[in-house]
Amino acid sequence: MNVELTDLTRRFGRTTAVSGVTLEAGPGVFGLLGPNGAGKTSLLRMMATVIPPTSGRLRLLGRDPGSYAPRREVRRKLGYLPQSLGYYPGFTVADFVEYFALLKDMPPGRVPAAVAAAIEQVGLGDRARAKLRTLSGGMLRRAGIAQAIVNDPDLLLLDEPTAGLDPEQRVAFRGLLREFGQRATVIVSTHLVEDVGAACTEVALMEQGRIVFHGTPAELTARGEGSGAAGDAPLERGYSAVLAAARSVPAARA
Amino acid sequence: MDDDELIAAVAGGDDAALRELFSRHAPWLAARLRAMLPAAEVEDALQETFLAVWQGASGYRWARPGGAAGGWLWGIARRQAALLLRRRGPAAVVLPAVFAPGGQQAGDPAEAVLARADLDQAVAALGPAGGPEREVWRLLYLEDRPVAEVAQLLGVPAGTVKSRAHRARRLLRGALGGGPAAGGGKR
Amino acid sequence: MSGTDAGPPDVDLGRVWLAVAAQVWRREPGWAERAARRLLRSPGLARALVTTPSLLLGWLIATAVVLAAGAVATLGTGTPYVPLLAPAVAAAGIAYAYGPGIDPAWELSRSMAVSDRMVLLVRALAVFGLNAALGLAASAASGVTAAVTFGWLVPMTAACALALAAATLAKSANVGVAVGLAGWVITVLSGNAAAGRLTTAVTDSALVLPYLAFAVCCGAIAAYATRITRGTS
Repeated sequence: MNVELTDLTRRFGRTTAVSGVTLEAGPGVFGLLGPNGAGKTSLLRMMATVIPPTSGRLRLLGRDPGSYAPRREVRRKLGYLPQSLGYYPGFTVADFVEYFALLKDMPPGRVPAAVAAAIEQVGLGDRARAKLRTLSGGMLRRAGIAQAIVNDPDLLLLDEPTAGLDPEQRVAFRGLLREFGQRATVIVSTHLVEDVGAACTEVALMEQGRIVFHGTPAELTARGEGSGAAGDAPLERGYSAVLAAARSVPAARA
Repeated sequence: MDDDELIAAVAGGDDAALRELFSRHAPWLAARLRAMLPAAEVEDALQETFLAVWQGASGYRWARPGGAAGGWLWGIARRQAALLLRRRGPAAVVLPAVFAPGGQQAGDPAEAVLARADLDQAVAALGPAGGPEREVWRLLYLEDRPVAEVAQLLGVPAGTVKSRAHRARRLLRGALGGGPAAGGGKR
Repeated sequence: MSGTDAGPPDVDLGRVWLAVAAQVWRREPGWAERAARRLLRSPGLARALVTTPSLLLGWLIATAVVLAAGAVATLGTGTPYVPLLAPAVAAAGIAYAYGPGIDPAWELSRSMAVSDRMVLLVRALAVFGLNAALGLAASAASGVTAAVTFGWLVPMTAACALALAAATLAKSANVGVAVGLAGWVITVLSGNAAAGRLTTAVTDSALVLPYLAFAVCCGAIAAYATRITRGTS
C-alpha cells in the first residue's frame, strides 16, 4: 500500500475542508471526483506533504510524513502537479524540469536523461529549450506534468492535469497514466468524468469533505442506472446520482 | 524546411531543428550503419553522430543543391563508426558477424540482401584476408586512418599505400558493378 | 518520437534520440554552481542558489555600482554614504532572494525534498554575505573610520530581516523591498532628527541591541510565515 489514510481531517479556522477520510491505495490509477469545494485539493495537498492534517493518520509509501527525515524520503519518490502552477517566465522547459528534478534530490548524473525522457513523454520535445513565457496554457500544464514524472515517482498526485489539453493530448495523457499506474500509485483529481472512466481502475467521490463513494468506475455507472439522474454519459449519471443521494442526507458536519 | 535550412538552424542553436533532422535521417543512417556494426554499436554511433552534428553544424558547406545534406551526415556517421571500430577491435570480424541469420532490416529486405551479397562478393574480390589490398582497404576505409598512419602500420611507403588503395577501389568497383552500393554518401 | 517506425528493428531510435537530447538540453553547471554543490553537499540547493534573482550577474553589478558611487560621493563630500546605502541595497537583495523556487510555484516548492525554507535560508545568507563584502570594500575604499566601516553591519541585518519578514508574509518580493527600504529610510531620518547627523542610525552604539532584537523578531516572523499554510480547500 502506497497510501494509507485513516480518518484524515483538515480544518482551516472554522471551515472543515476534509472530514474523516479513510482510504487505501496501492499501485494503479485512482480517480478523485467531486464538485468544486469538495475538498479534493486539500486532500491532495496533504498527500503531497504540502500541508499537515489537523487530525487522523497519514502514511505515505510506508512512512509517517510527520517528521522531517521520513518526509524527505517520501518527497524524493513523490510527483505532484498542483491545480495552479506558477512558472518562471525566463526558464526554458528543460530548465524548469531540471530545476525540480534537482530539488527532488535526484542524483545529478541521472538528471539530464530523466529530463529528456520526461519532456518527450509529455510531447514537448520540439519545445524543450523554448522559454516558458512563450508556451500556451496546455503546454505549461504538460511542462508541469513533466516535472511531476521526472523522478519516476512511486506516488504521483495530479490536480486537474488535463486543464487546457486538447482531446488528442488527453488521450496521450491517459496512456501515460496507465503506464505509470503499472508500478506506482497515481491519484488524479479531476472534474472531467470521462477522464476518470477511461484511465482509472478505482474511483472515489468527494462531497463537502467526505468520501461518498468508493469503488470501480463500473460500480459508479451502476449507481446511475434507472435513477433518472442528470448526465449525458452513464458515468456522469452515476456521479450525479451519488451526489444527489449524498446531499439529500441531512448529516451533522463536525 | 529542407535539410539545408535545418542544418543552418542547428548551427544557430535550434534544437528543434536537430530533432527534425534526427527523425528524417536517423532511420536510413541506422540502416546503413547496421550493415557495418551490431545493433548496440549502431545506437552508440548514431548518438555520437548527432551530437557531432549539434556541435559541428556550422562547418557544413552546402555547395551543391539537393542531396548534399545526406552525404554530409553519412560522412559524419561513417567517421563515428570508424572511431568506434578502432576503439573496440578489429574490423574484419565485424562485417560477416553483422549478417547473422534473422538480421533482416525492416523497410527493404531486398536492399539488405543485395547489400550483403554485394559486399560479400566485393570483399572477396579484394583477395584473401591479410592480403595487401584487403589490409589497405580495412585500415584506410573501414578504420578511416590517414595514409601516413596506414603506411607506418604496414611498413610500406605512402605511395605504395596509395597505389594499393587505388587497386582496391578498382577491384571493388568491378565487383560491385558500379551500382548503388558502391561507396557511401549517396542518398 | 516521430520517425522511429523506420530503420532496423533491433535499433532503438527513440533511445538514441533521448541520449542525444539529454546532452543537448542540459544546463551544464558553471563554476559557481559546482562550488556551491561541494559546499552545500546538495545539487538541488546549489541550483536554487545560483538561480536567485538578486545573485544574478546583472543585479550584482548594479549593487557594486551603487556602492561604488556612494564611495566616490563620500570621498568628495565627506558624508559616509556607503553605510547608509548598503543596508538598503542589501534589504532589496534579500527580498528578491524570495524569487523562483519560493514564489510563484510556492505550492510545488513545499513538496520538494530540498525544503523551501532551506532554500530561502541559504539564499538569504548568500545575499547578505555578498552585500556585506561589497559594502565593506566600498566602505574601506571611501576612507572613513573603522567604526563607520563596520558599524552598518548590524543595521543592515535588521533591514534585511525586515525585508525578509515582509516578503514572506506578503508572499511578494516587491512588498519586501518596499517595506525594507521604507523602514530603513525612516530609521535614518529619525536618527537624523534626533541627533542631527544622518549617520546616527549606523554609528550610535546604543542602537545595536535594539537592532539585533528587531532582527530576531523579524526572523521569527519569516520562519512563521514560511511554516503556516495559506489558502483553503
